[in-house]
Amino acid sequence: MKNNLFNKSLIGLLVAAPFFVSCDDDNDGPTPDESNEQITTVRYVLTPTTGTGTPVTVEYRDPDGDGGTAPTIGNLTLAPNTTYTGRLTLLDETKNPAEDITAEIQDESDEHLFVFTPTGTNVTVTITDRDAKNLPIGLQTQVVTGAANATGTTGSLRVVLRHQPEGKDGTPTPGDTDVEVNFPTAVR
Amino acid sequence: MLFLLPSRFRLLALLWLLSGPQTVWAQSGCMLSLSGRLTDHESRQPLPGATIRLLDTEDVVASDASGNYHLHVCPGVYRLQVSFLGYEPETLEVRVNGAVIRDFKLHPSAVALRVALVQGTRVAEQLPQATGTITGRELQQTRGQSLGEALQKVSGVTAIQTGPSIFKPLIHGLHSNRVTILNNGVRQEGQQWGQEHGPEIDPFIASQLTVVKGAASVRYGSDAIGGVVLVQPKSLRDSAGTGAELHLLGMSNNGMGAISGMVEGNARRLPALSWRVQGTAKRAGTARAPEYVIPNSAFAEYDFSGAVGWRKATYGAEVFFSQFNTKLGILPDSHLGNQSDFDLAVGRGRPLVPQDFSYDIERPYQQVRHDLLKLSGFVRTGTAGRLTTTLAHQTDVRDEYDRYRPRNDNRARLDRPELSYTNRTTTADLVWEHKPLGNLTGSVGLSGTYQSNRYDGRPFIPFYTNKVGGIFLIERWRHKQWQLEAGLRLDRRDLETQRAIGNSGNFYVATDQFQYTTPAASLGGIFEADPHLTLSATGSLTRRAPAANERFSNGVHNGRFDIGYDVDRPSGVPPLGPETAWHTGLTANWHDNPRFNGEVSVYQTYIQNYIYQVPVLPPPLNIRGVVATFLFQQTDALYRGIDASGSYALTPQWQLAGKAAVVRARDQRLDDYLIFTPADRAELSLRHDWRPQTGSRFSQRYAQVGAYGVARQTRVPTEVLDYALPPAGYVLLGAEIGTTVQLGDLPLDVSLAGSNLLNQTYRDYLNRFRYFTAEMGRNVTLRLRVPLEFSKKPPEAQF
Repeated sequence: MKNNLFNKSLIGLLVAAPFFVSCDDDNDGPTPDESNEQITTVRYVLTPTTGTGTPVTVEYRDPDGDGGTAPTIGNLTLAPNTTYTGRLTLLDETKNPAEDITAEIQDESDEHLFVFTPTGTNVTVTITDRDAKNLPIGLQTQVVTGAANATGTTGSLRVVLRHQPEGKDGTPTPGDTDVEVNFPTAVR
Repeated sequence: MLFLLPSRFRLLALLWLLSGPQTVWAQSGCMLSLSGRLTDHESRQPLPGATIRLLDTEDVVASDASGNYHLHVCPGVYRLQVSFLGYEPETLEVRVNGAVIRDFKLHPSAVALRVALVQGTRVAEQLPQATGTITGRELQQTRGQSLGEALQKVSGVTAIQTGPSIFKPLIHGLHSNRVTILNNGVRQEGQQWGQEHGPEIDPFIASQLTVVKGAASVRYGSDAIGGVVLVQPKSLRDSAGTGAELHLLGMSNNGMGAISGMVEGNARRLPALSWRVQGTAKRAGTARAPEYVIPNSAFAEYDFSGAVGWRKATYGAEVFFSQFNTKLGILPDSHLGNQSDFDLAVGRGRPLVPQDFSYDIERPYQQVRHDLLKLSGFVRTGTAGRLTTTLAHQTDVRDEYDRYRPRNDNRARLDRPELSYTNRTTTADLVWEHKPLGNLTGSVGLSGTYQSNRYDGRPFIPFYTNKVGGIFLIERWRHKQWQLEAGLRLDRRDLETQRAIGNSGNFYVATDQFQYTTPAASLGGIFEADPHLTLSATGSLTRRAPAANERFSNGVHNGRFDIGYDVDRPSGVPPLGPETAWHTGLTANWHDNPRFNGEVSVYQTYIQNYIYQVPVLPPPLNIRGVVATFLFQQTDALYRGIDASGSYALTPQWQLAGKAAVVRARDQRLDDYLIFTPADRAELSLRHDWRPQTGSRFSQRYAQVGAYGVARQTRVPTEVLDYALPPAGYVLLGAEIGTTVQLGDLPLDVSLAGSNLLNQTYRDYLNRFRYFTAEMGRNVTLRLRVPLEFSKKPPEAQF
């Protein structure tokens, strides 16, 4: 019967249809993330302007970014009763070659604020650079040390970068934290 | 429901035989004839056994086998009321001073439409699992809400919320990978793993929403441990002509305006050909909590769909396409760099920077697009049964934009999303429903899925390719009041992941392969204890293979670091294994009673090797300091609970209704509670329906007041850190009034609904933003629904 034939071919078509589905073969694997910015490295270089100390560099470094291998964190040891000039450098080492984030921060200095918090050590940090609105930035600092730490004790210096595209007012409150690192710090 | 019908028809037929067209209790002496014919407005079929009542004299007759009725009356003006089960009753005034003929073309009511759907799509066969449906007026009351929000009308269904606009359905406390959503018969596939990823579906597409509460894996696939949500559009129009429906909606709180329209037609020359186009546009501004505007909570949504079908009695085919587009603002206060920011924001508990009401959507936001193309066809043969094929292709693109653009100007100018996922899924299903063999009905099915998931930008979940093949068999045995259903399913899943390791200087791709064969089995029974009480029981076993995110999530998302089980798995340790769920449920349903109707359902789901996230303590350090870090682990979980819902008609006009749900979830290995379990809740409402008044242009008038109460969640894990204690319980008041206004030929449905009427400040445990902001305050919604009929009307009695 004609109708029967029609039905049979319809059934055939329906049964066969799922097997004709083409699968878009998208075999390209993932590529390195070049479009996002990360900060992997915070370098703090302190150059003495008084006394007899030598320049000190301390680094927080996590070149593979979030997760993966744990970061390496340097120790900061400063000479007593000395004044240093401090300079921060921030890098993105997930890119090849590494990107210097410091320049970006300098360019958008009215959107960034570094906050320095020493604890358990005689260190005073004063921000010396200012943005267009005369608000502190923190890429450049003056660090003054006092008496040495008691033997066997170590304090810390916390460095926080607040990203404040809206409402930078000189306080840490607005915005997001882009960097928060703690350097074990001692004056000896 | 389905097999109740024949008995109902029998009852009506009996009524018709008893009363008969000759049974007329008219005043003696007056012999003016008032007669006519009753037909179905859509199919033009005669309606035998309908009731025709003269309201003034209380005379009643029934229509005969051809749909004709006949009355004898004195001269005068009469109000004639026609009613028939499954149709909207109609009343009209007739002046009789000679023989009068009045024909009626009755419109099927919502109840009848549901029955039609049952027969047409054959999905709504009574299930042994507890199910909840939202349709008709109840669905109309949810118009304008997102899918996840609307589903909360079903007792036992809640939602994980992300601010006022994102709702992720939770069934009996289970969600995401464990809840399957079927959109027009196609498994919704996208980025469903994310708690802040709402379902990418326009609920205006649906004429019915059904929730199967409890595992339904045999029928719907091995992920459906928690349950299934069915989004069911109306079947394509089968009566000649063109019709349309327009929805308009406005909300006071967030200034939301929504418009949704649908036009459908059926060719007069080619009765097999039907079509439908549909579209929705929604725009909302910032929501308002009682004390402040919730910053950046504006959103926009634009959706459309179209379908063309060719349907004959023995075969048919349909093409369906839909696109969903949304842009959702995210609370900036929730977008945090690290733990100390989080602690500060939680300490504030309210937005840092006050915002004025605005429709602008700023960073951070989500932009989501979902396309679905579906081809389906069926063939019915006299001897073999019915064969259905469904092919579907979905593309889901989810872009997530961080709070701040990149520092680098060149990158900032590109304005790229920081996270971007693309998921492409092709599914194919073949189901053969065999001809009944004695008391046995059933179906055998094959289903296949090919899925590829890619990302661009910051890595979070890996590239993966998922291939799934499944076969299932469900058989149902019916005898008298008994139905027994047994099902078996076997799925084979092949998952290949490609992970980016290292970065540009030192980059490689790690490829992993996983294969699983997961069986599922179910056994259920339904017993009609009497025509008004149905008892059902279900038991099932399901295995769910782990998803890619559970294995290899690796990255920071909204101030929280997620690590998959297999990311840092030491060598020698076996990879993440599948979950095994044992579900049992008992349901008692009282239905079609004049006064009390309701349902009580008790369930238990035991999930062995339950995959969940536990905090890593102390959290690993990264350059932003301490970031809360969660690792996927396995435990044994036990979910138990009761859902109850019921209504009681105090009088034909007054109805009291209530709902309650209780869920308990335990981590068996830690002997502790599980996080994110819905708190106990109950709802009570009182409703008044006005009697229909003749001659009034207002019909179906109703008013409703209700209270919705949620207790504080006190059963929270002690082992898992939460950022803040669960918020206090709350009770919200709501009210609604509505009516149908006859504007010329147009029956216009209008309603006004208010929620949180006392403008209370409250927070909900299941809202992920409860740490930062209170919930939406008072909201009044105006809803308008206009059905339009463009078809040329055949000559009809003019009233």
